[in-house]
Amino acid sequence: MSDGMYAGEPALEAYGLGMRYRRGWALRDCSFRLPAGRICGLVGPNGAGKTTLLSIAAHLLKPTHGSISLFGEAPGSAESSRRTAFLAQEKPLFRRFTVAETLRLGRELNPGWDQRAAEDIVRAGNVPFDAKISTLSGGQRTRVALALAFGKRPELLLLDEPMSDLDPVVRHEIMGTLLSEAAERGTTVLMSTHVLAELENVCDYLVVVSGGGVRLAGDVDELMSLHTMVTGTRDDEGLPAALGHHTLVECRTSERQLTALIRPEGPVTGPWETDAPNMEELLLAYLRSPDAPPLITATAQGQGQAFGTGTVAA
Amino acid sequence: MSTFTNASNSTDAKNGTMTATSTEDAGRRPRLRAMTWLVWRQHRAAFWTILAAAALSVAWMVYQRGQMTDFLDGYGYPTNSLDEVGNEFQQYLNGLMTVSTGLQAIPVLLGVFLGAPLLAGDLENGTVKLIVSQSMSRTRWLATKLGVTGLVVVVSTVALSAAFGWWWNPVKSEPAVMDWTSSEAFNSTGPVLVALTLLSVFGGAAIGVVLRRTLMAMVVTFGFTMVVQLVWAHFLLSLGNVVTVTTHKGVLAENAAPSLPNSAHQLDQSYLTGSGDLVSWSACADAQTDQALKLCLKKADVVGWSVDYLPMSQMNGMQWFGASIVFALTAGVVAFLFFWCRKRLV
Repeated sequence: MSDGMYAGEPALEAYGLGMRYRRGWALRDCSFRLPAGRICGLVGPNGAGKTTLLSIAAHLLKPTHGSISLFGEAPGSAESSRRTAFLAQEKPLFRRFTVAETLRLGRELNPGWDQRAAEDIVRAGNVPFDAKISTLSGGQRTRVALALAFGKRPELLLLDEPMSDLDPVVRHEIMGTLLSEAAERGTTVLMSTHVLAELENVCDYLVVVSGGGVRLAGDVDELMSLHTMVTGTRDDEGLPAALGHHTLVECRTSERQLTALIRPEGPVTGPWETDAPNMEELLLAYLRSPDAPPLITATAQGQGQAFGTGTVAA
Repeated sequence: MSTFTNASNSTDAKNGTMTATSTEDAGRRPRLRAMTWLVWRQHRAAFWTILAAAALSVAWMVYQRGQMTDFLDGYGYPTNSLDEVGNEFQQYLNGLMTVSTGLQAIPVLLGVFLGAPLLAGDLENGTVKLIVSQSMSRTRWLATKLGVTGLVVVVSTVALSAAFGWWWNPVKSEPAVMDWTSSEAFNSTGPVLVALTLLSVFGGAAIGVVLRRTLMAMVVTFGFTMVVQLVWAHFLLSLGNVVTVTTHKGVLAENAAPSLPNSAHQLDQSYLTGSGDLVSWSACADAQTDQALKLCLKKADVVGWSVDYLPMSQMNGMQWFGASIVFALTAGVVAFLFFWCRKRLV
C-alpha cells in the first residue's frame, strides 16, 4: 500500500474476520482496512453483524475466525485499549452514579483523561453534574456516555448505533458535538448505523456489511466516482446488452423505465442518461442486492489482501 | 461546580490525577483510587451495611459478655457448678444461642445478597462493557472487585467470630451451654465462619457469571449456600481423629462405663469381646431378665465397653482442617472466575 495519502498505520484492519454462533454465522470472512483520521460509517441491515464487528474490535468478543488489529495491535492489549474507546448500543452507565461521578470513573480508570473535554461535552447539553444517571433523559445519557468516551482521548472511537434512540433535534446536536470533537483531535471514528440519513455529510468513509460479509468499503468520494446511475427507457425483459460489459450492482425496472447502478468499466454508450449517485442511492443499491460483486477500494484493502472480484485500480 | 473548573486539562497523566486529587474532598479521609474507588462506589451501600451490621453485632456481643461474666462472678463460677444455676442464667444463654443462629445465616445472606449480584449485575446492566472499554485491564477489574469484596467479608466475619468465641469462652467447657460439635458453636468460632462465607460469596459470584441474571443468580445461590451448609454439617465430625477408649470390667457393673474427658463428643459405643471384636450394644437387648442378659453377654464373650469419641481439644484443629478445605475450594472458584474473565467476559 504505497498510497501517499494514507501513509502511516491504519486505525483498524480486519483479516478474514469471522464469528460463528450456534445459530450460524454472524460475520464471515470480513476483511477491510480503515485508514486513520477518517469518520467511517458502518452500514448494514439489522442483524448484519455490525455489533459483532464492533464488539470484536472492542475486545468484548473473541472472533472464531480471522483477526482484527487496532493500530497494529490486538484488541485488549494495553496499548490498543488505551487508544480505543467504545460506546455500546445500550450506552451502559452506572444508574446510581451522578454525572460527576461518572466522569470521575473515566478519570480514575484512564491515564490520559481529559477532564475539561469531557466536562465541555456535558455542559454543552446543560446536563447538571449532580444529577443521577437514572434521572437523565435518553439524549442526556448519550451525551454523558459520549463525554466519557471522548474524555479518554481515544485515537479510535467505536460507536454502536450512537443515535438510535434520540429525537432528530438531539441527534443533530450530538452529531455536531461528535464531529467537531473528532475533527479537533483527528480521532478516527467507526460508527455503525442503519439510518442512512445519519451518514450524509458526516462520513467520509464507508463500510457496508450485509449477510455477514463486506459488500462495499472505501472513501466516500472515491466510491461515488466509481459508480454511475443509469436511467433510460426499457424495451425488453432483462438487462440491455449495451450495459453488459459494465459491472452491474442493481437494476430496477418500472413500467417503461429502467434504472441501474453500475460500475462503469469504460465509457457508457447508448441512449442513457447518466448521473452520479448520491450516498443513499448507492447504499440502498448495495443493501438491496446482496449478490452484487463486492467492492473494496485500494485504501480499504489490507496489506497483502487479494480480492479477485473487488480490486479496482484506483 | 468549583470542583470541575479546577480540574486539570493536562494530558500528562500524573499531573491530571494529582490535580484532580487536590480538588475533591482532600484531607477528609484517605482517598480511594482508580479501580478501588469504582468498586467501592458501586457497592458502597452493601459494604457499609455489612460493616455497620458487623460492628453493631460485635458491640452487642461485647456488652452481653460483660453481663454474663458479671453474673458468673456473682454466682461464683467455676467454683460453684452451673448444674444448679437455674433459670436465672438462661437469659444469658438465650442471647448466645440467638446470636449463633444469626451468625450461621451469614454465609447464606452474604452469598445471596452480596455474591450473586456482584458480577451478574454488571453483566445484566451491560456496565461490564463500560468497564472493559476503559484503559485498565479486565483482570485488574475482577481482581479489585473480588479483593475489596473479600476484604469486607473477611474483616466482618473475623470480627464477628472472634467476638462470639470470646463471649462463649468462659462457659466453653460446659456442654450444657453449647456442645462444641454443634453447628452453633463449631461454625461460629475460629476460621469456619470466614471460610464458609468466602466460599458462599465467591460461589455466588461464579453462579452470577454463568447465569448472567441477578435474580436468577440469587435464587440459585441460595440453593448453593444451603447445600454448602448441609455438606459441611454432614462432614463436620469426619474432620477429627476418632479416639477409642476400651474397658475390660464387664458392662453391667456400676463403674464399668469408660470415663470420657470433659466435653468430649461421643460418637459410638459398642461391646468389646474377649477376641477384641466389637458387638453392637443392642445385641442382647431382647433379653427379658437379668439372667437372660448375663447369659447372652457371656455367650457373646463380652468383656467390656469400647467407646469412640472426639475430645474437645481437637476442636481447633478440626476447624482449621475443615476451613483449609473450604479455602481450597474457594481458591478453585476464584481461579474459575479469572479463567472466565480471560476467556469470555461479555
